[in-house]
Amino acid sequence: MMLSIGLVRGALVGFLAAGVTSEALRLVRASTGTSAGGDLDTSLAILAGVLGYFVGLGAFSYWFRWAAGEEVEEHDEHPHFRSAWHAYLSFNPNHKVIGIQYVVTALLVFLLAGVFALLMRVELTLPGLQFLSYDQYNTLVGLHGLIMLGTIFAGTAGLVNFLLPMMLGARDMAFPRLNALSYWFWPPAAVLLLLTLTGGADSGWTLYPPLSTQPRMTGYTFFMWGFYLVGFSSILGGINFVVTIFKMRAPGMSLWNMPVFAWFTLAMSLLSITVTQFVATSLVTVLLERGMGMGFYNPAKGGNALLFQHLFWAYSHPAVYIFALPTWGVFTELIPVFSRKPLFAYKLTALSAMSIVLVGSIVWGHHLYPAGMEEPLYVPMIVGTELVSVPTGVMFLAWLGTMWMGRMVFPTPALFVVGGIVWFLVGGLTGLPLASAALDLHLNDTMFVVAHFHHTLATFLFSFFAALYYWYPKATGRMYSEAWGKAHFWLLNIGFYAITFGLFRIGILGMRRRVPDYAAGLGWEPWSIAATLGAFLVGISVLILVGNLVASLWQGRRVTGNVWESRSLEWSLVPSPAPAETFLVPPRVVGELYDYAAPRAPAYALAAVAGASGEREGQREVK
Amino acid sequence: MHARVEAVAAERPLASPVGLAVGLFLLSEAFLFGSLFIIYYYLRMHTHHWPPEGAEVHLVSGGINTGVLLLSSLTVSLAVGAIQRDRVQAAVAWLGATLGLGALFFGIKMFEWATNTFGPADHAYGSIYYTLTGFHALHVLVGLGIIGALLTRTLKGRFSSRRFLGMELGTLYWHFVDGVWLLVFATIYLVR
Repeated sequence: MMLSIGLVRGALVGFLAAGVTSEALRLVRASTGTSAGGDLDTSLAILAGVLGYFVGLGAFSYWFRWAAGEEVEEHDEHPHFRSAWHAYLSFNPNHKVIGIQYVVTALLVFLLAGVFALLMRVELTLPGLQFLSYDQYNTLVGLHGLIMLGTIFAGTAGLVNFLLPMMLGARDMAFPRLNALSYWFWPPAAVLLLLTLTGGADSGWTLYPPLSTQPRMTGYTFFMWGFYLVGFSSILGGINFVVTIFKMRAPGMSLWNMPVFAWFTLAMSLLSITVTQFVATSLVTVLLERGMGMGFYNPAKGGNALLFQHLFWAYSHPAVYIFALPTWGVFTELIPVFSRKPLFAYKLTALSAMSIVLVGSIVWGHHLYPAGMEEPLYVPMIVGTELVSVPTGVMFLAWLGTMWMGRMVFPTPALFVVGGIVWFLVGGLTGLPLASAALDLHLNDTMFVVAHFHHTLATFLFSFFAALYYWYPKATGRMYSEAWGKAHFWLLNIGFYAITFGLFRIGILGMRRRVPDYAAGLGWEPWSIAATLGAFLVGISVLILVGNLVASLWQGRRVTGNVWESRSLEWSLVPSPAPAETFLVPPRVVGELYDYAAPRAPAYALAAVAGASGEREGQREVK
Repeated sequence: MHARVEAVAAERPLASPVGLAVGLFLLSEAFLFGSLFIIYYYLRMHTHHWPPEGAEVHLVSGGINTGVLLLSSLTVSLAVGAIQRDRVQAAVAWLGATLGLGALFFGIKMFEWATNTFGPADHAYGSIYYTLTGFHALHVLVGLGIIGALLTRTLKGRFSSRRFLGMELGTLYWHFVDGVWLLVFATIYLVR
């Protein structure tokens, strides 16, 4: 029966609740003679739909039983599902399933946002309007941006979910049900973001009023609710990650001896728990302004549009670090394995990640330089922005120090790590001219800025791909194709550099962003055409990735053990593919995690006696 | 195993995993209200006449509501104290009293909203007034739901002197909502 699949039930109940609510509101409005509620009614229907969806999915049933006073098992067994379809499309608290759910979701929305990017690039290739209107183009700009950020959220959450418990030697996350709940925010969020296309939203993902509070385009309500749900998911996920890191580590694993990826996850989670509320408030206030005629940002009512920019960037700049921290975490985790050397400056790197939480939260003002802000804020914002270069510099030092004199090997994941570091470097260097106020006045809101932030954000993409290849054998028990993986890497690099260098050039020449048209005869065409061709190369490379991941499920070489000779728990003590249950009894940590240099270094951890990670793992040392 | 976990939890509820999670959740909630206060004070800083002419708030009923919520913090603490001494009947009574006080607060709040001289769409002051008090009232409603669930669980004998972590953390949320109200009261009714 289809109805035994959670997602099907959730979708049915959700759409039903949304439909009934909007119809009921229409009838009430008609009978009382009040004017149509417009955006307010849309919001109420969305809210009802999302709640209905969660109830239908069964996400709340545990908490309902708790509230009704029933005796509930606090740590029940992972439930059994009839088929893989049931297990992956239902409310399933197993962290490995949730990890895969997230990663597949991330890849799906990544493809979608990639299609949007291609549409925009094709439109921009030549002067004149090709096939998109201004409104359609700008709606695509916002959707491409937000959905790509969503890719990062989901991709990161997927990696952390799949890996963190195994890396810490824990059976699961601290709160498996909360964990599943965080994931299941995603399907309604994706549906809502797609519904934006019905009415459009022309402000880009930054949603600045007064544009976003105009009633002209009706897609905003969907867009903001989609955004809101993603934020909620990220807060709940963050809480879970922090508690897992502090409470679920295997015996003997001190904070200073846990995988450095956990440190980066901790820093990222602390940021998402706190600052996400700023953007949530900014979205809610815009929704209230649209739906109920409130006046936060409306000068005619004594409001102030700059306030929105403060709130929005108080989240959205730290959000850059929410994206960057797991990116750096993957780099830092993988480099020692491929360099066969201990991680250089472990403690400093961990402290740098933590310091980003503080410093990164007081730099949002540099997004308000052109708009202007309160006088006393300038100096702290400038100093904060400059300060961020210290912890990031420390990370570069740690990466280079680890590689230095190492015998690096370059399978596909290592290529992506090194390639990603170079991308990050170029992204950082092209940020320098933007930090100079004089140059910024010329470059701001041009394609130069677009190319710059794509450089920094593409760094995440590289780390995500590195992680996908690196842990693919762990998840599937199959090896991906090295040749196709390398083809992916080189095509992606060539294509993406063609895009960004094309955009850097036309940005300097003065091409504005968010305009689908440009005048002929300015010498922009060659660069624009190069960027579009590059975009198609990137598209092809991504298809190669997806083809590689899918085909290797059947054709990949079977692997069972420690593919990368890593000392980390998920490789050294867990067979490949990772069984549904790992570390029912936690292992005992006795050594140093990154002790790669000494040929006879003691193992990082010993498996517990009998059945810790599958039947065959007894008490034995695993190098 | 179970008893040991609970004994530890009983001493330091925030040191238990679920306690840490509740603490982090409240931290997040603090940022939510913090951002609303930022809106309030930012708008106030940039406006000459704040609150605008004719926008008067009910100081008296706001003051009464403050008393009501403070009292409810007391009753909910007494409920925890009662269950720690295995006095289930008393715990039920104190939780019931908390429910009543919370409902009273909500009723007075509704009365204020209905009789205010300004609406949410009149001016920016009205917008943040209704948003801030509305978000707080929403949290009171959620808190009432939690207290109601705790009451149900107490009636069904799920709490005792050896097992009251859920009770402690649920009431922590209630105290948090009360604490936020003090700031809301100070901001909207006293500082203005």
